[in-house]
Amino acid sequence: MAIIKTEHLSKVYNPDTIPVHALRDVTLEFEKGEFTTVRGPSGSGKTTLLNMIGGLDEPTSGSVEIDGVMITGMKEKDLIDFRLNHIGFVFQAYNLIPVFTAYENVSFIMLLQKCSKKEMKERAEELLTAVGLKQKFDSRPKELSGGEQQRVAVARALASRPKFILADEPTANLDTESAMNLLDMMEKMNREEHVTFIFSTHDQRVIDRARRVITMVDGAIHKDEKRE
Amino acid sequence: MKLLIYISWRNIWRHPARSGVLVVAIIAGMWSGILVSGLSNGMIDQRFNNLIEESMTHVQVHHPDYMVEREPNMYIPNPDKLIEFLSNMSQIRSFTARTLASGMIQSPQTSSGVQIQGIRADWERNTTTFYENMTEGDFLSDETRNALIMGEKLADKLDMSVGNRVVLTFQRADHELTSAAFNIVGLFKTSSVQFDEQQVFVRSVDLSKLIADKIVYHEFAIMLHDADSSSSVAGRINNEFPGVTSETWYQISPELRYIADFGNSITFYVMLVIMLALAFGILNTMLMAIFERMRELGMLIAVGMSKIRIFVMIMLESMMLTFAGAVGGMLMGYLSINWMGQKGLDLAGMAGDSMNEFGYDTVIYPVISSQDFISIVILVIATVLLSAVYPSFKALKIKPSDVVRE
Repeated sequence: MAIIKTEHLSKVYNPDTIPVHALRDVTLEFEKGEFTTVRGPSGSGKTTLLNMIGGLDEPTSGSVEIDGVMITGMKEKDLIDFRLNHIGFVFQAYNLIPVFTAYENVSFIMLLQKCSKKEMKERAEELLTAVGLKQKFDSRPKELSGGEQQRVAVARALASRPKFILADEPTANLDTESAMNLLDMMEKMNREEHVTFIFSTHDQRVIDRARRVITMVDGAIHKDEKRE
Repeated sequence: MKLLIYISWRNIWRHPARSGVLVVAIIAGMWSGILVSGLSNGMIDQRFNNLIEESMTHVQVHHPDYMVEREPNMYIPNPDKLIEFLSNMSQIRSFTARTLASGMIQSPQTSSGVQIQGIRADWERNTTTFYENMTEGDFLSDETRNALIMGEKLADKLDMSVGNRVVLTFQRADHELTSAAFNIVGLFKTSSVQFDEQQVFVRSVDLSKLIADKIVYHEFAIMLHDADSSSSVAGRINNEFPGVTSETWYQISPELRYIADFGNSITFYVMLVIMLALAFGILNTMLMAIFERMRELGMLIAVGMSKIRIFVMIMLESMMLTFAGAVGGMLMGYLSINWMGQKGLDLAGMAGDSMNEFGYDTVIYPVISSQDFISIVILVIATVLLSAVYPSFKALKIKPSDVVRE
């Protein structure tokens, strides 16, 4: 069963002045456990599609359904709650809270979910260990390399036990070694724990690892290929 | 809430220098505000005390027409009954009786117009603090006949000193002029130059015999345990003695009340200016903090932090910054007022005699009440809340999809 469904999704920016068609009639389904890349040139609509799926932006027309719940048209407050409990985000610029340690950046999401202290501690330690940062629990973002910061971001995204993770250009700011390490780690989580990852990228290293590659051109799905 | 307090506290120390500057600005603002408020209170209290405690007292009793016509024959009828009545009133701390006249004082060199106050030295000592102003010689006593005390200023003007004789000329109750020689036994100096130049004090018994050949009083001055009961005491005297008029301090000297109101207004406007500066400081700092954290705030909203939490977080940051400064400022203000309250702030060098010309002491002892402190705290809270609202709303407008990739 598909955990994400988009139906005839369209997004037009500035409809009254100079309309920009960021998405054109996108209908897609994503299954649990996918390791999918949305590729395409700049301005092709990759990030807009991820924003729609993540409930960060409203479509002009069409709908997004996640695990049977229609998030299009949902009240903002409910949508924020929904994102907290169902969707994990990894951003290109890491976006960690600079005044928090790695441990605090990960456990903070669970605090929002009102998890118990014990559960929070166990999960944060487990995740940071899983992303290879066992020795860096108390490091602040500025004390971590770009790759390490992005690993903390992945751990943070996983902390809330989301249905899937949306990663927008996660390797764009990383050197090759850090990017490969990060991808190895995410691939391992996907294989072993069936965490669903959807990437938006034009980084060939990510595209090479994906088992499904969706190519977008001018806001529309150009190609949707599955690999074994 | 614990989470928000924790994040907010960490956030405000993200830029220690910037937060530090704002905290110092708040400390300076609060400190100066409290100081100005304390000085203003101190000046007014001292002015009030100078007038009330030194001579005016809370309630005065006169012949019904005396305050307008000031005729020597307008003395209080049956003073013994009034004395008995006043002695039995529990609200009265003490009272004194005065014989009054307007006249001329003459020295061998020159003369000058004066108000002559005939006092009962022992009663006056019990009632007012005027005797504390003596700078040379002695205060009047019940034993020494035809003794006189005058202000240093007047003594300078007449070129007289303690031990010299002067002649007082004034009208009797029968409208005939009379003169008598008095010995200067002491000099005084009050905070009012005008008072010092225009008032002389003699024994009531000496003056009233010259005016009416018997003991007469034109004025009863009454000090109360509580100034707030002035009106009721004056009312009771008026009811009991229809032949006299009893007035409260603020009926006799309405300007005294205006001075108190004026002082409060000054304090209010000074605090208003300080609070405005504080408000813009907070507004500026918080807006800067929000503009540079757009992406982070967008991320927080994206990952599931509710907008109300973001709003509260920004408000908390503003409040923590302000309270760090406000507590410091209030502490400094309190310590300064305490210190100056004991030592006094001497403005003689700055204001010269001009303060004395207006009846103010040159040494000010600042005073601040717990009520003033509470008012300042409320003002600060209101200022912080108002100035933090706009940045907090600005944070609410953030659209995560617009900022997380920037």
